[in-house]
Amino acid sequence: MELYKIAKKLEGLQTVSTIAKTLDINRRTAINYAWKLRKNGFLTTNYGRRKIRLYRISLLNKKRNGYSLYELINENSRVKIAVREDFIIHSDRKPSVEEVLVRGIATERFRIVLASLGLFNKIRNWPELKLLADKCHISRKVGALYDVSRKMMKVRKMDDRTRNAILKNKKGREYIIENLKTDDFKDIEELWGVYVPFNRADLEAYKE
Amino acid sequence: MITFDEQLELFKLIGKDLNNKVTCFAIGGNAMMFYGAKEETKDIDLVFLNKKDLEEVKKVLYNSGFEDKKDLIKIFRHHEVIEKENMPVMMVMKEERIDLFVKGVITFEISDTIDKRVKETHEFDNLIVKVVSPEDIILMKSATERKKDKIDALSLIEKFNINWDIIVEESINQTKLERELFPVFLYDFLTELKEDLKADIPKEVINKVRDIGKAMMIKRLKKGK
Repeated sequence: MELYKIAKKLEGLQTVSTIAKTLDINRRTAINYAWKLRKNGFLTTNYGRRKIRLYRISLLNKKRNGYSLYELINENSRVKIAVREDFIIHSDRKPSVEEVLVRGIATERFRIVLASLGLFNKIRNWPELKLLADKCHISRKVGALYDVSRKMMKVRKMDDRTRNAILKNKKGREYIIENLKTDDFKDIEELWGVYVPFNRADLEAYKE
Repeated sequence: MITFDEQLELFKLIGKDLNNKVTCFAIGGNAMMFYGAKEETKDIDLVFLNKKDLEEVKKVLYNSGFEDKKDLIKIFRHHEVIEKENMPVMMVMKEERIDLFVKGVITFEISDTIDKRVKETHEFDNLIVKVVSPEDIILMKSATERKKDKIDALSLIEKFNINWDIIVEESINQTKLERELFPVFLYDFLTELKEDLKADIPKEVINKVRDIGKAMMIKRLKKGK
């Protein structure tokens, strides 16, 4: 089969197994096809969980510009995400981890918020995090998710000044993800006035 | 002609000068450039969800040296059916042209389903540009009279695995948004693409769109429009 046609047939996100299944060939031949596709500029490789090779196959000559929010999350978090759409930030400098974390939580999407938790470990500038969270009106949500992440993984300590400043804003209850709440983190829910969308099982990925 | 880098520079300039967040949809050749399906485009087409956002961008473009062009309306197919308040605004500067639309392109409206299918969102400070899916670019190309739009549609059909179900479903969706004539225009466009440019469009898709258009025409006649 012509390479162009193969690329068209396999367009999208693939692994060696899915290439083999789609083309009805064995794994060895699938790896050879992946090599040929890469050589001709149709394929780029990313790595997923447990270092699984993820192939992005496309017929298009796409120019890389700006910073992809989801790639930045994947760069910094142990839990990886693969989304069908992309959000590109065009700015003069690379967005900081603090900015990426706030943007991730602000998406209000389960998988993205879950993957964003892994970024708490990389936060150094807590005042900046609060400032950005305040701009998006999500500082309490950030505080609650910080406490959740502390329970499941090793995370740097948030300075008391920032923590107390966020806690001062407590008013009523709000959802991180609309209408989603669990019973596993009731203490955090009470403290921050925020419904936590995750249960302990959701966060197991961070323990592996 | 406008290259991809020039387009990015222009969006950055607009985004920096805007005072509030403005969201718009990239729909034409400029959307294809984001996908890497085209090297350059003659004009930049942007659709806004309300007139206020369009006016804000128009003001920024004025300040950057663009001028309002009023006599270009006839380049759009079926321009006679455009409602006055939804008239496109065309801004030009030297070789560059930007077409600004509100809510839709002539007979085609930006629906929630189109928003959900958006594959890329680009943020340029205060300007948020959503790039519509290849299927939706084809649908919107059917609203214009120009031959190059047919060539662009052909290129999209060749480069992407077009989901034809989306094309059929969206043409039904458009009739629900009171754009009853859209399937009729789409049928013409797809037929011309298949017959003149030998595009690989399944015959059943064209037949389905024809039937939807036919049903809409009968409905309109019964209503006495």
